[in-house]
Amino acid sequence: MNSPNPTTVAASPPETPPRRRAIRLPKDRQAIVDNFFRFQSLFGLVAVFLIAIAVSPSRNGENVFLSSGNLANIVRAVSEIGIIAVGMTFVILIGGIDLSVGAVLGLAAVGSATLMVDSGLGIVPTVLIVLFIGTAFGATQGAIVARLGIQSFIVTLAGLQAARGIARMWSGGLGIPIAYGDGPQEAPETFSLLSGSINGVLPVPALIFLAIGIGALLVLRSTAFARHVYAIGGNEKAARLSGVPVRRVRVTVFAISGLLAALAGIIHAGQLNQGSPNDGAGYELDAIAAVVIGGTSLAGGSGSMGGTIAGALLLGILNNILALNNIDANVQLVVKGLVIVAAAALQRLRPRIA
Amino acid sequence: MRYTRTALTILTLTALAVTTGCSVEKDGGDSGTDASAQCGSGKEFLIGMSQANNAEPYRQVMNDDVTTAAKAVTGFQVVVSDAAQDNSKQVADVENFLSQGINLLIISPNEAKPLTGVVKKAYDKGIPVIVLDRKVEGDAYTAFIGGDNVAIGKAAGEYYAKTLLPQGGKVVEISGLPGSTPAAERAQGFREGIASNPKIEIVATQTAEWLREKGQSVMDAMLKAQPDIDAVYAHNDPMAEGAYLAAKAAGKESAIKFTGIDALPVASGGIKAVEQGRLQATFQYATGGREAIDLAKKILVDCSKDVPKSTTLGTTQITKENAAQVYTELGGKQ
Repeated sequence: MNSPNPTTVAASPPETPPRRRAIRLPKDRQAIVDNFFRFQSLFGLVAVFLIAIAVSPSRNGENVFLSSGNLANIVRAVSEIGIIAVGMTFVILIGGIDLSVGAVLGLAAVGSATLMVDSGLGIVPTVLIVLFIGTAFGATQGAIVARLGIQSFIVTLAGLQAARGIARMWSGGLGIPIAYGDGPQEAPETFSLLSGSINGVLPVPALIFLAIGIGALLVLRSTAFARHVYAIGGNEKAARLSGVPVRRVRVTVFAISGLLAALAGIIHAGQLNQGSPNDGAGYELDAIAAVVIGGTSLAGGSGSMGGTIAGALLLGILNNILALNNIDANVQLVVKGLVIVAAAALQRLRPRIA
Repeated sequence: MRYTRTALTILTLTALAVTTGCSVEKDGGDSGTDASAQCGSGKEFLIGMSQANNAEPYRQVMNDDVTTAAKAVTGFQVVVSDAAQDNSKQVADVENFLSQGINLLIISPNEAKPLTGVVKKAYDKGIPVIVLDRKVEGDAYTAFIGGDNVAIGKAAGEYYAKTLLPQGGKVVEISGLPGSTPAAERAQGFREGIASNPKIEIVATQTAEWLREKGQSVMDAMLKAQPDIDAVYAHNDPMAEGAYLAAKAAGKESAIKFTGIDALPVASGGIKAVEQGRLQATFQYATGGREAIDLAKKILVDCSKDVPKSTTLGTTQITKENAAQVYTELGGKQ
């Protein structure tokens, strides 16, 4: 292999100046820098965690942030967004976006409430039907994106409206309360476990988030499907030419996103004892934020599931510590905005150094 | 179909994850430290105010009323959270308050059912809970304070029957968000109020979803359909203002009388609109913020065990005669 000739570089046309100045580092330092960016969100998470401990108010000499009750609140509060964000990561990795997830969450919450309370179905059929609806909704969007070649932003924007509309029609526009018991208009008591916790410490939704997160982490690490996802996000044409079934992967990715949004909707209904057609409004943006803070590029092709999980937790801790310190609600929004931009800016820095 | 199998596997796993609730306990078992400090004067008290959303002017005024009233009580410190219309967020907000160790909770719930659990949790921990404006289910709270929309609608109706249109006339009604309780109650009360004057006729009812701009476009259409409208009964002030703008564009603003409801003491609120002559009258829908702090003082400072479980706030009729005075009384800023 010839090393690049400096004279050729100098002779390259001046009208295309190198936009990104590459800094060459010694190999060992290069590895450190690479790893820093790879685990950017993990470092961010640890940093925010440490800062949170440091600035936490204390009560009776106890660090409020670190109290087990508070930590449980954080993971409970973040689990729905986290589960959605896991699905969103697949979509963003192929260079797409899914704006429909919040509305699908609302649809699933309404579905859970209606099927159990009005139709008197048991938990297992209810969950299966609702998950199927979410998956089918996602797959349909994926098929439209793949077959008609419409941008996923547009398709899922339409999907957002449609899912809200269906949810409102299904529920008559009002929240459907879930009462528990054995009666005809009551949901089985077991469903209320979604608002419970194991040993009074670990909230059930957090456990489900953990399971889904680890599952997705493994899928993304070691399957052919994952390699196809990265390939499409990196260069779709090259992926197709090298035999990746692009359409099928697309449909699957959106189906997974719809499935997980529906799962989050079931948890939502269980936690709040109600399914309302307006549930989950704006959740898509929080999920996208978690993915971006997790270091996944919106252009597709690069990113990790671990990053997303760390990103979701980081957002949860940030929300919590700002609230514990009584920071004004409007200032909280600004701080969250700054964190998202900072995370994205760090990602921009990455290729410049590497 | 490998991917179908992948998707199916994930589906089965997720279904299992939800449906198998193995050895799980329900919440409420964490018998933490009793958060309510001893009551009494000369002590410091932290009050958590959980607001359903900060985006509506009415709720801003409610927050202001709470914080302003609390400033007048020595030892009271209030923290306000904004749930941004999200039930989940409001649950988390209250949980955060509990972590912080508040001495009293004031909550204006976004919706009843989803907030009932966490309100009960706080109440069961021995923290006094004052529920404002919208209710929760059951009775696991200390006190409820709220307005009576039927009574307000009725007061408006009686004003129409006796003062505004004693000779009768054609009224159009611009109603709030369909399906919302205040809209239904303000409509019902109004009909009870005008019943004494059979010459008053409601010729049309249209919804403008509480919004000023929708009030304008709805009124625009109604002016074309109904050439001789005598008065507009709007379920809130912004919609009445919107209707006024539409009438003004049609050159009919002086021939039609407009009334609203809410009477917020802010520059863009209904009291100013009455004072400046755009609206004939508006009817106060009190926030209950000051009443909540009065109650908090009774509970925390005076150690009163005997507080009313439910307080219904009255309404004040605001016309040009008393507008400026009420505006100042309610703490409106110029």
